[in-house]
Amino acid sequence: MEDTKDHIGPLITALQYNDIFDLDSTQTDTELLPVGIAFSFIKAVQSVNQRLVNQISTESLGFEVILIAREGSEVTKEKMVKSVNHYGLGISKFYFCKNEELIKTLQSHKVKLFLSTNRDDIDKALQAGLAAALLYDQLGQHGFDKLKVIFSGDVIGFSEDSRDSLTDFGFSETQLKTFKTAKMCMKEFVSLIGEMRRRFGREDSPLCTCLITAWGSRDVSTSALKTLREWGLDVDEAFCLAGAPCSPILAVVKPHILWDGGLHNAGDTPAQS
Amino acid sequence: MNLDPVQVMMGPDSMPNTCPTTSNGDSKGPWEDSKDIHENDGLTKKPKSPKPENAVTIAVSSRVLFRTDIEQKVYEEKGVEEYLRYQIQHENEPLAPGPAFPFVKALETVNIQLRELYPASEELFDIVLVTYNHAHVGVRLINTINYHNLFIERFCMTGGSSPIGYLKAWQTNLYLSADAQKVQEALAEGIAAATMFMPDKQMEVSETQLKVAFDGDAVLFSDESERIFKAHGLDKFFEHERENENTLLDHGPLKGFLELLGKLQKKFYAKGHRLDCPIRTYLVTARSAASSGIRALKTLRAWGLEIDEALFLAGAPKGPMLEKIRPHIYFDDQMFHVEGAAEMGAIAAHVPYGIAQKYTNKK
Repeated sequence: MEDTKDHIGPLITALQYNDIFDLDSTQTDTELLPVGIAFSFIKAVQSVNQRLVNQISTESLGFEVILIAREGSEVTKEKMVKSVNHYGLGISKFYFCKNEELIKTLQSHKVKLFLSTNRDDIDKALQAGLAAALLYDQLGQHGFDKLKVIFSGDVIGFSEDSRDSLTDFGFSETQLKTFKTAKMCMKEFVSLIGEMRRRFGREDSPLCTCLITAWGSRDVSTSALKTLREWGLDVDEAFCLAGAPCSPILAVVKPHILWDGGLHNAGDTPAQS
Repeated sequence: MNLDPVQVMMGPDSMPNTCPTTSNGDSKGPWEDSKDIHENDGLTKKPKSPKPENAVTIAVSSRVLFRTDIEQKVYEEKGVEEYLRYQIQHENEPLAPGPAFPFVKALETVNIQLRELYPASEELFDIVLVTYNHAHVGVRLINTINYHNLFIERFCMTGGSSPIGYLKAWQTNLYLSADAQKVQEALAEGIAAATMFMPDKQMEVSETQLKVAFDGDAVLFSDESERIFKAHGLDKFFEHERENENTLLDHGPLKGFLELLGKLQKKFYAKGHRLDCPIRTYLVTARSAASSGIRALKTLRAWGLEIDEALFLAGAPKGPMLEKIRPHIYFDDQMFHVEGAAEMGAIAAHVPYGIAQKYTNKK
């Protein structure tokens, strides 16, 4: 196992401003923007960072959230910075770029994790070799004290043996090809999360990791658990669904981050959609 | 019965480091005959799990599916971190069967036969492992499932969180656990549930027919009559039952499960398998046939539920009857009876429902 100690540093996580703030809201006359889906994620991340710093004050491990804004007016940009400070979101880096420059911007700022509610953006990032995951919308039902991250067992546990069962469920060859690339993007992110998770005990941890295998067999799950362990992460929770609908389980797990390696329709199988 | 998990590993078949798939044909299950029939169909792949809404979903915890005494002790004496370390160290040692194991095996036998008769149907038993163990233990649990060749493809390891939300998400029809509190929470949510304990000895059970036995009051029926008995004694109880003979009893927590068993039974009858139906149900009640039992039978009939055998003990001990039946599981609301059954080696499960829970002084 690689010694990642030299690489421990902040987990630079990029979010877009239209996920942090609700821009569709009709509230346009105030100085501040109303909060959006990513709000509870940021709060949970702050809680993790705080606990890490409490343990070792010189700790450089932790999340560093940066904000990416595309095509915003000067007024919006101003509102954004003001709102970030008002809500105490702890974001100090803002990057403004054009629509088509998103990937380049992410790469140039050494982003280790890109979170978005937009599946197309996530796909583009994954194709460029960046670790990207879905910000899961739970309609404000999150608690702020525990950051929950889900990994897909189907992608991490993917092998030539599991290929057959996935084609049974309706996945195409192209989709299966993306699994392999998606898997390798996540390795660094997984090892950083693992490093953070190890700082806390089994119980009362502000960070909780989860493995969900939606279609693969239990052996795919085992393969995923072992791979994650190799990369430095022992997950807290694991679920194997064998084709059962994901949404009821996700409603109980209530994740902030859902990394499914670009699998669309994470809630239902392609054949059922 | 061999209880030491290490001794379960037989000879040179020690666990490989990568999990064997079930297609390795290394079956040690008692249902080999049925399995051969299945393989003759030319099917080499595992069948797909049914959709939760179509299946009869049975959720079992790891502590009732397998024996985990040693591991429990480590947890209780040394705490969770040491417990997890122990589990990971022993990851490649499969656990021995627990009290729910024979029941689960019998469910699988029924499934094999249902699939043969109705290949396109999803009305099957679906067994889900629901445990509040951490996922660290996952590899060992899956290794154990593989070792015993169980058809369990679905699991929830909740890492310490309550499993109740997941039971609902799976549309669970029956939940079996070693933790009485979790079972009570499930019952409170309207999910049939029972606590199981590892008996010191276990009598042999059928390998071809699933046998499920139920107590009447506070299990299939509500505890209304039992309340009368506990509060006012036996005579009042009889009087009350006689007066209300034609009033249906209210339903109890396991009524729904009996109903589902009945539905599957009818599928076998439809294909000419009434006499040799692989599911058989029993009522084992302290009521007496001549008097208080009538109300029970009338209620079952009004509900459209056929129970294969109704045994009215008129207060006699249940042990000898259970020894004759040898059910794969027997549901009773009174710990007194559950313990009595366990002493005889019968597999009993406690349904912590109703008034009897306030009278546990018979322990």
